[in-house]
Amino acid sequence: MRNRLKVFRAERDWSQAQLAEALGVSRQTINAIETGKYDPSLPLAMQIARLAGQPVEALFFLDEGEQEAAKRSAP
Amino acid sequence: MKKLSDVLLGRGEGHVGLAAGLWLGLYFGARAMLEMDGLSPWVRAAIALAPLPAFAWFLRDFIRSVSGADELERRIQLEALAVAFPLTLLLLMTLGLLQIAIDLNMDDWSYRHIWPFLYVFYFMGLMRARRRYQ
Repeated sequence: MRNRLKVFRAERDWSQAQLAEALGVSRQTINAIETGKYDPSLPLAMQIARLAGQPVEALFFLDEGEQEAAKRSAP
Repeated sequence: MKKLSDVLLGRGEGHVGLAAGLWLGLYFGARAMLEMDGLSPWVRAAIALAPLPAFAWFLRDFIRSVSGADELERRIQLEALAVAFPLTLLLLMTLGLLQIAIDLNMDDWSYRHIWPFLYVFYFMGLMRARRRYQ
Protein backbone atom coordinates (compact mmCIF):
# COMPACT_ATOMS: atom_id res chain seq x y z
CA MET A 1 0.00 0.00 0.00
CA ARG A 2 1.20 3.51 -0.75
CA ASN A 3 0.29 6.76 0.93
CA ARG A 4 0.49 10.53 0.70
CA LEU A 5 1.21 11.06 4.37
CA LYS A 6 4.47 12.86 3.77
CA VAL A 7 2.79 15.25 1.32
CA PHE A 8 -0.05 15.88 3.77
CA ARG A 9 2.48 16.61 6.51
CA ALA A 10 4.54 18.90 4.27
CA GLU A 11 1.43 20.88 3.26
CA ARG A 12 0.81 21.68 6.90
CA ASP A 13 4.49 22.05 7.77
CA TRP A 14 4.18 19.46 10.50
CA SER A 15 7.07 17.40 11.78
CA GLN A 16 6.73 13.64 12.22
CA ALA A 17 6.83 14.20 15.98
CA GLN A 18 3.95 16.70 15.84
CA LEU A 19 1.81 14.35 13.77
CA ALA A 20 2.70 11.45 16.07
CA GLU A 21 1.71 13.54 19.09
CA ALA A 22 -1.62 14.46 17.49
CA LEU A 23 -2.36 10.80 16.75
CA GLY A 24 -1.05 9.37 20.02
CA VAL A 25 1.52 7.14 18.35
CA SER A 26 5.33 7.12 18.24
CA ARG A 27 7.38 9.08 15.71
CA GLN A 28 8.77 5.74 14.59
CA THR A 29 5.26 4.68 13.59
CA ILE A 30 4.78 7.77 11.43
CA ASN A 31 8.17 7.24 9.82
CA ALA A 32 7.45 3.55 9.13
CA ILE A 33 4.10 4.45 7.51
CA GLU A 34 5.65 7.19 5.36
CA THR A 35 8.42 4.94 4.12
CA GLY A 36 5.94 2.16 3.33
CA LYS A 37 7.44 -0.26 5.82
CA TYR A 38 4.28 -0.47 7.86
CA ASP A 39 0.63 -0.28 6.84
CA PRO A 40 -1.48 1.35 9.56
CA SER A 41 -4.55 -0.30 10.99
CA LEU A 42 -7.90 0.89 9.66
CA PRO A 43 -8.68 2.90 12.84
CA LEU A 44 -5.32 4.69 12.63
CA ALA A 45 -5.74 5.34 8.89
CA MET A 46 -9.19 6.80 9.61
CA GLN A 47 -7.78 8.96 12.39
CA ILE A 48 -5.14 10.31 9.99
CA ALA A 49 -7.79 10.95 7.33
CA ARG A 50 -9.98 12.78 9.83
CA LEU A 51 -7.03 14.93 10.86
CA ALA A 52 -6.31 15.66 7.19
CA GLY A 53 -9.97 16.37 6.44
CA GLN A 54 -9.82 13.96 3.53
CA PRO A 55 -11.27 10.53 2.77
CA VAL A 56 -9.03 7.58 3.66
CA GLU A 57 -8.61 6.60 0.00
CA ALA A 58 -7.18 10.05 -0.80
CA LEU A 59 -4.31 9.36 1.59
CA PHE A 60 -3.88 5.60 1.30
CA PHE A 61 -4.14 3.66 -1.92
CA LEU A 62 -3.10 0.36 -3.44
CA ASP A 63 -0.14 0.27 -5.82
CA GLU A 64 -0.60 -1.16 -9.31
CA GLY A 65 0.31 -4.73 -8.39
CA GLU A 66 -2.09 -4.74 -5.46
CA GLN A 67 -4.85 -3.25 -7.62
CA GLU A 68 -4.36 -5.99 -10.21
CA ALA A 69 -4.43 -8.65 -7.48
CA ALA A 70 -7.60 -7.11 -6.04
CA LYS A 71 -9.25 -7.16 -9.48
CA ARG A 72 -8.26 -10.80 -10.04
CA SER A 73 -9.64 -11.92 -6.69
CA ALA A 74 -12.92 -9.98 -7.09
CA PRO A 75 -15.96 -12.28 -7.47
CA MET B 1 5.01 8.16 23.01
CA LYS B 2 7.46 6.14 25.04
CA LYS B 3 9.03 3.08 23.41
CA LEU B 4 8.49 -0.21 25.18
CA SER B 5 12.22 -0.90 25.05
CA ASP B 6 12.78 2.31 27.02
CA VAL B 7 10.36 1.07 29.63
CA LEU B 8 12.00 -2.36 29.69
CA LEU B 9 15.42 -0.82 30.13
CA GLY B 10 14.14 1.44 32.89
CA ARG B 11 14.45 4.64 30.85
CA GLY B 12 10.83 5.63 31.30
CA GLU B 13 8.34 6.26 34.04
CA GLY B 14 7.18 2.64 34.04
CA HIS B 15 8.21 0.11 36.61
CA VAL B 16 9.05 -2.72 34.22
CA GLY B 17 12.79 -2.08 34.41
CA LEU B 18 12.66 -1.80 38.19
CA ALA B 19 10.58 -4.97 38.52
CA ALA B 20 12.92 -6.85 36.16
CA GLY B 21 15.95 -5.64 38.14
CA LEU B 22 14.40 -6.71 41.43
CA TRP B 23 13.40 -10.08 40.00
CA LEU B 24 16.87 -10.76 38.58
CA GLY B 25 18.50 -9.55 41.81
CA LEU B 26 16.34 -11.91 43.85
CA TYR B 27 16.98 -14.74 41.39
CA PHE B 28 20.76 -14.47 41.53
CA GLY B 29 20.61 -13.85 45.28
CA ALA B 30 18.57 -17.03 45.67
CA ARG B 31 21.03 -18.95 43.52
CA ALA B 32 23.93 -17.76 45.65
CA MET B 33 22.12 -18.64 48.88
CA LEU B 34 21.16 -22.08 47.60
CA GLU B 35 24.86 -22.86 47.13
CA MET B 36 25.27 -22.61 50.92
CA ASP B 37 25.27 -25.73 53.05
CA GLY B 38 23.33 -26.34 56.24
CA LEU B 39 19.96 -24.91 55.21
CA SER B 40 16.85 -26.98 55.89
CA PRO B 41 14.77 -28.12 52.88
CA TRP B 42 11.93 -25.76 53.89
CA VAL B 43 14.25 -22.76 53.99
CA ARG B 44 15.79 -23.80 50.66
CA ALA B 45 12.31 -24.08 49.12
CA ALA B 46 11.36 -20.64 50.50
CA ILE B 47 14.54 -19.13 49.04
CA ALA B 48 13.86 -20.79 45.68
CA LEU B 49 10.35 -19.29 45.58
CA ALA B 50 11.41 -15.82 46.77
CA PRO B 51 11.80 -14.32 43.24
CA LEU B 52 8.21 -15.24 42.27
CA PRO B 53 6.43 -12.11 43.64
CA ALA B 54 8.93 -9.87 41.84
CA PHE B 55 8.38 -11.87 38.66
CA ALA B 56 4.60 -11.46 39.03
CA TRP B 57 5.11 -7.70 39.39
CA PHE B 58 7.36 -7.67 36.30
CA LEU B 59 4.84 -9.71 34.31
CA ARG B 60 1.92 -7.44 35.26
CA ASP B 61 3.83 -4.27 34.30
CA PHE B 62 5.16 -5.85 31.10
CA ILE B 63 1.65 -6.80 29.97
CA ARG B 64 0.41 -3.30 30.82
CA SER B 65 3.27 -1.78 28.85
CA VAL B 66 2.45 -3.88 25.80
CA SER B 67 -1.24 -3.01 26.11
CA GLY B 68 -0.39 0.69 26.34
CA ALA B 69 2.07 0.67 23.44
CA ASP B 70 1.09 1.94 20.00
CA GLU B 71 0.21 -0.47 17.18
CA LEU B 72 3.67 -0.57 15.57
CA GLU B 73 5.33 -1.27 18.92
CA ARG B 74 2.86 -4.12 19.52
CA ARG B 75 3.72 -5.50 16.07
CA ILE B 76 7.43 -5.30 16.92
CA GLN B 77 6.84 -7.13 20.21
CA LEU B 78 4.84 -9.81 18.41
CA GLU B 79 7.62 -10.32 15.87
CA ALA B 80 10.22 -10.50 18.66
CA LEU B 81 8.20 -13.20 20.41
CA ALA B 82 7.60 -14.95 17.07
CA VAL B 83 11.38 -15.33 16.84
CA ALA B 84 11.99 -16.18 20.51
CA PHE B 85 9.28 -18.82 20.88
CA PRO B 86 10.25 -21.23 18.06
CA LEU B 87 13.96 -20.78 18.77
CA THR B 88 13.38 -21.71 22.40
CA LEU B 89 11.33 -24.72 21.32
CA LEU B 90 14.12 -25.71 18.94
CA LEU B 91 16.73 -25.40 21.69
CA LEU B 92 14.70 -27.46 24.15
CA MET B 93 13.89 -30.10 21.54
CA THR B 94 17.53 -30.38 20.47
CA LEU B 95 18.75 -30.63 24.05
CA GLY B 96 16.10 -33.28 24.72
CA LEU B 97 17.33 -35.35 21.80
CA LEU B 98 20.97 -34.79 22.74
CA GLN B 99 20.16 -35.93 26.27
CA ILE B 100 19.02 -39.25 24.79
CA ALA B 101 21.93 -39.44 22.36
CA ILE B 102 24.79 -38.59 24.70
CA ASP B 103 25.24 -38.12 28.41
CA LEU B 104 24.66 -34.38 28.85
CA ASN B 105 26.08 -32.98 32.06
CA MET B 106 23.06 -31.53 33.90
CA ASP B 107 25.36 -29.13 35.77
CA ASP B 108 25.90 -27.40 32.42
CA TRP B 109 22.51 -27.89 30.75
CA SER B 110 19.89 -27.76 33.48
CA TYR B 111 16.90 -25.36 33.44
CA ARG B 112 18.89 -22.72 35.31
CA HIS B 113 21.21 -22.43 32.31
CA ILE B 114 18.60 -22.68 29.59
CA TRP B 115 16.06 -19.97 30.51
CA PRO B 116 18.41 -17.01 29.81
CA PHE B 117 18.50 -18.16 26.19
CA LEU B 118 14.85 -17.15 25.90
CA TYR B 119 15.89 -13.58 26.71
CA VAL B 120 18.72 -13.74 24.21
CA PHE B 121 16.32 -14.95 21.51
CA TYR B 122 13.74 -12.30 22.49
CA PHE B 123 16.26 -9.47 22.21
CA MET B 124 17.54 -10.89 18.91
CA GLY B 125 13.97 -10.82 17.58
CA LEU B 126 13.42 -7.35 19.02
CA MET B 127 16.51 -5.94 17.30
CA ARG B 128 15.55 -7.60 14.01
CA ALA B 129 11.99 -6.23 14.12
CA ARG B 130 13.09 -2.76 15.22
CA ARG B 131 15.64 -2.57 12.39
CA ARG B 132 12.96 -3.65 9.93
CA TYR B 133 10.68 -0.72 10.79
CA GLN B 134 13.37 1.92 11.21
